[in-house]
Amino acid sequence: MNSARARLLFGSGLLLSTAGCGVYALPRGATTQALVMHQDWTVFTLAGSFVAIVVFALILFPLVVWRRRGDEYPPQFRRNNKLEITYTIIPLLMVIGLFAVTYHNDIIVEHLTAHPQNTIDVTAFRWSWLFHYPGTAINIAGTPQAAPQMVLPIGETTRINLTSVDVNHAFWIPAFLFKRDAIAGVDNSFDLFPTRMGLYRGRCAEFCGLDHALMTFTVRVVSQEDYARWLRAGGPAKVSAKGASS
Amino acid sequence: MSTAATAVPNPASRRGIIEWLTSTDHKHIGILYMCTSVFYFFVAGLLAMVIRAQLAQPGLTLVGPHAYNQIFTLHGTAMIFLFVVPFALGLANFLIPLQIGAPDMAFPRLNAFTYWIFFFGGLTIFSGAFVNGGAAASGWFAYAPLSEIRISTGGGQDLWIIGLLMTSVSGILAAVNFITTTFLYRAPGMTMWRLPIFTWEMIATSLLILMAFPSLAAVLALLFIDRHFGGQFFNASAGGSPVLYQHLFWFFGHPEVYIMILPYFGVISEIIPVFSRKPIFGYTGLVLSAFAIAGLSMGVWAHHMFTTGVVSNGFFAAVSFLIAVPTGIKFFNWVGTMWRGSLLLTTPMLFAIGFMLNFLIGGITGVMVASPPIDYQVEDSYFLVAHFHYVLGGGSLFAIFGAIYFWFPKVFGKLLSERRGKWCFWLLFVGFNTTFFVMQFLGAMGMPRRVYTYQNLPGWGNLNLIASIGALIMAAGVLVFVWDVIASSISRTRASDDPWGGYSLEWWATSPPPEYNFTSLPPIRSERPVFDAKHPDLARLSQK
Repeated sequence: MNSARARLLFGSGLLLSTAGCGVYALPRGATTQALVMHQDWTVFTLAGSFVAIVVFALILFPLVVWRRRGDEYPPQFRRNNKLEITYTIIPLLMVIGLFAVTYHNDIIVEHLTAHPQNTIDVTAFRWSWLFHYPGTAINIAGTPQAAPQMVLPIGETTRINLTSVDVNHAFWIPAFLFKRDAIAGVDNSFDLFPTRMGLYRGRCAEFCGLDHALMTFTVRVVSQEDYARWLRAGGPAKVSAKGASS
Repeated sequence: MSTAATAVPNPASRRGIIEWLTSTDHKHIGILYMCTSVFYFFVAGLLAMVIRAQLAQPGLTLVGPHAYNQIFTLHGTAMIFLFVVPFALGLANFLIPLQIGAPDMAFPRLNAFTYWIFFFGGLTIFSGAFVNGGAAASGWFAYAPLSEIRISTGGGQDLWIIGLLMTSVSGILAAVNFITTTFLYRAPGMTMWRLPIFTWEMIATSLLILMAFPSLAAVLALLFIDRHFGGQFFNASAGGSPVLYQHLFWFFGHPEVYIMILPYFGVISEIIPVFSRKPIFGYTGLVLSAFAIAGLSMGVWAHHMFTTGVVSNGFFAAVSFLIAVPTGIKFFNWVGTMWRGSLLLTTPMLFAIGFMLNFLIGGITGVMVASPPIDYQVEDSYFLVAHFHYVLGGGSLFAIFGAIYFWFPKVFGKLLSERRGKWCFWLLFVGFNTTFFVMQFLGAMGMPRRVYTYQNLPGWGNLNLIASIGALIMAAGVLVFVWDVIASSISRTRASDDPWGGYSLEWWATSPPPEYNFTSLPPIRSERPVFDAKHPDLARLSQK
């Protein structure tokens, strides 16, 4: 009996300690939008861990304290109206609070600026991507074997216009903590405002058939000067070839 | 004694297999349903083992991409449509007439029809594996245009559509039967507010099936028309809409989640009171919460579509959060039932506790993914895979094992072994959490679902290896269960009619119950008439 108790406590303790790590599993976001999403994640992970600890304790406490020891029947109580109302209202207040956080954050993430400095048209197809920079002749298309590379300037808003020419895809950059579906017949737009330079992985997140696993791309966030030089050179070729190898 | 057929001692059953093929007895049909669904669980579980073997390390080539896509499509389809739902329908078939003191279901022949159309529906889906091009390979929600004929050319996709149509018709007819039976066939004294919680949860489930399954049938029919009769419903270039497919599918698909969990809330609500030796705490609130969940679940479908950019994320987030409230109420009902009880940790009770611990994680991560800014990262990632496995694997599956250990003596007249049962529980509990807890990290880090291979990024190989080791531990737990069922079935020891000190009327019948179930019934003055009859002194105190 004691060893069963110990196992229960051990098992649940293990779960709890790992639950706390959830906050740190998410990559540090590399856009202003990602910062907001990271805050949202942190609020929910902490609130969730708190609820988990309280409810785990409520479930395990009776197992430790009120194990059957004889043939006596315990008091046969059935209800407690005050308690029942309390345990309805408290979760209700909690989710109202969480909704306020979510709603506030979602408006920031989804906000489209009136005049983005840059625009990129992204077209998803089976199984790669086409990045077109409007106003230039730059078209970067990849294959499952040679991932295309998108170049973004740091500290400026870039508008992404996203669609698909065949099945549903999803444009996902894990380091930006963001994805959006690419759907034929739907023109999706969102803004990215990168805050850190570097090379990031991107990929298709919506299952799209045979080579879905290989439908990747890379994003290189560069300084505004480098970006302008890159645009002027009209030269994606040498950069995208490097991206493909990563 | 060794075969299932002779385990049910009614004169008709001695005619053997013909009797089983033609039976309209709700207990026979329930057993057929449950055995068939457990068979599909083994098949889908084996497919899961292949998935975990393939993903154990980056870059493995155990199966190719096309085979892998078929495997995860069949794994999801079988677990959802051929295991978790039909097991509940089978359990309800067996239990509802017994729990309400009725001799059979309202429409016995319709009942047999629902089983057989489900049976052939499952075979139809899997028969795709033997046609040119292989089985369906577009995932369990088969988004158009991926599932359209110009992309998924094989006949496997058609067999998948037809098989699912058959199982959805089966579910709709079963729901009609359950509702009619519980409304019209209750024994004298069994008022609605004295129904056992499992029966209540099945009423809520049946109403949900009636609202949700027609949408599934519709979307499957439209897809079939698109594929073969130039429908263009989901073809954007011809004025159709791929988003429409998602709306129709998830209008069914989210209620489906509750169709897969409400019956098992009922199972847990039957097991916990018996092994706490107390009545369920907050009966009325528990029943109302089931209907609150059922109602709210009809208004949350587009939280599966937050990343499409064409739905009202705020509205669907708000309703999704609200569902946490009635779900939370149920946890307090279960805790209140255990509170100051006299707890006995039998195998069914262990599975009930495992259910609560796992499902809590599934529920909390469910609130997280209902927040659009979080969903933008974790949608279609392994975080989501972990979330819904915590609900359906850690939740429903654990409740199913609890139900099997709890009602096996009633169904077959044999007790399963407590010792082997506890081994089974601990292997499954440890294995399950080993597999799926780490997937939350993988998803947050950026690992997408439905990929047959992945890059060797820092930590990914190790976390996937841990997940695969957990799957092996789970498989060991399932093997212990199989061994237990075989060993207990051939044992000569018979279970008593009421081995646990049960509450509801099925424990009044013999084990297994005879044809038409009862020769006499105790007076029914609460939701636990058998307890009242055996403990008249305590019953008087507890009924106010």
